[in-house]
Amino acid sequence: MNSRLSTNVLSILSLAALWEIAGRIMDSTLIPPLSHIGTAWWKLLVSGKLAANLTTSLGTLAAGFFLAATIGILIGLLMGRFRAVEHFLDLYVNALMSAPAIAFVPVLIMWFGLGVESRIAVVFLFAVFVIIINTMTGVKQVDSVLVEMARSFGAKEKEIFFKIILPAAMPAIMAGVRLGMGRAVKGMVTAEMLLTLTGVGAMIMQYGSAFATDSLFAVILTILLVAILTMRAVQWLDRRMTGWKAEIAIE
Amino acid sequence: MVEIRKVSKSFQKTVKDHTTRVKALSDVNLSVRPNEFVSIIGPSGCGKTTLLKIIDGLIPCDNGEISINGKSVTTPGPDRAVVFQTFALLPWRTVLANVEFSLELRQLPKEERTQTARDYLKRVGLADFENHYPHELSGGMQQRAGLARALAVNPTILLMDEPFGAVDAQTRQLLQEELLELWQRERKTVIFITHSMDEAVYLSDRVVVMTPRPGKVAEVLDVPLERPRSADQVRGDPKFVELTNYIWHSLKNAMGNHHE
Repeated sequence: MNSRLSTNVLSILSLAALWEIAGRIMDSTLIPPLSHIGTAWWKLLVSGKLAANLTTSLGTLAAGFFLAATIGILIGLLMGRFRAVEHFLDLYVNALMSAPAIAFVPVLIMWFGLGVESRIAVVFLFAVFVIIINTMTGVKQVDSVLVEMARSFGAKEKEIFFKIILPAAMPAIMAGVRLGMGRAVKGMVTAEMLLTLTGVGAMIMQYGSAFATDSLFAVILTILLVAILTMRAVQWLDRRMTGWKAEIAIE
Repeated sequence: MVEIRKVSKSFQKTVKDHTTRVKALSDVNLSVRPNEFVSIIGPSGCGKTTLLKIIDGLIPCDNGEISINGKSVTTPGPDRAVVFQTFALLPWRTVLANVEFSLELRQLPKEERTQTARDYLKRVGLADFENHYPHELSGGMQQRAGLARALAVNPTILLMDEPFGAVDAQTRQLLQEELLELWQRERKTVIFITHSMDEAVYLSDRVVVMTPRPGKVAEVLDVPLERPRSADQVRGDPKFVELTNYIWHSLKNAMGNHHE
């Protein structure tokens, strides 16, 4: 972990140095030196603009992702547990999993209007299918010997579900949640750029069309930071819930 | 008294859209007395495990009947507990919590559960490992935990499905000796599936030899060895050698008849 961390730091520092040099050699409008971006970022931060927009964005992200995780896990569990539900739904889930969610944006605007509901719906659509599929796969891959063992000790269906299936499928479910979080961030920015100009998406569009590249990069870097931090949060949750699995994987 | 009467079972097998019925067990008859140690031995695929699952009530038989003390068996019951070949421990639970699992299902209060589980872990020699996770233990230790989990519910009948098949030879011998000691103390009816002739003879009062698919009882043999048995003494005993030889020939015969 320590050597990994130091390699990460080395990677960031060398990229930053390269960026600064490239920015100073070349046209600073196209690639602004990192120091300029830093200044722009600081200005955005002090003015409160970044914080206000980020709050809007993260609200959408949280709502959409929460819905996607709850509904996605629920549908995934049902599909994994009941063959009939799986056969009823897997066609759509698989189709929507690979279809570009962006294609549904016009439909969502018609259904939900141009408000926050539409943006939440985009985040939801981006994230939900990967969570469904991972949850379903996790449930289907539960070792049947464990289920048999529980049954032989007199477990009822409810006990088999809560004491065997759910904990055994938890690593796969959390993997789906992790992937879903990544997709949710993409959905958030997409919705803010395509639907209604709000949040960090609006800032990107604004600075992009104004050729304010230093502020533009400041926003982009902020989004990257959000992506990393949300991912870390999910990973932390994952380790809390399925620590036993990680230990096995290391051996 | 466990009575197996005319039990038959077949499975549907589908290979590339072609469905056939495979007969796993055909007309199996056997009576096991209370506190008796009976081994069932036979080649792979003779339906030994299927038979054990039917006795446990995990799967139904097509024809025939299993009865325990006169009562017909259709579902798993508190009078029986299974020890699984692959241990079937829950990897997210500690050894203690794994043993408690069987007691949880019987709705025992938490304190009593922990106490009972600790007691049985001590009996199988795992007292110091209650907070370990299964993957931190050797195969032999994992199976000790599996045995403790089965014993903890205090069954009258212990169903063991090749329980020592997945551990190394030395551990296997140790576990056999420990099992005999436990059995001597706890006095349970044991139905023990194995494909090791040594193991069957060393442990059992009677050895049931089965034929290959469809599994039938080829022979039931009494083991004429005194108890308590010590491994070293038994393995040198001419009666032991004679009986294992006899079983070997019996198995070979059963398999020969099957192939020709």
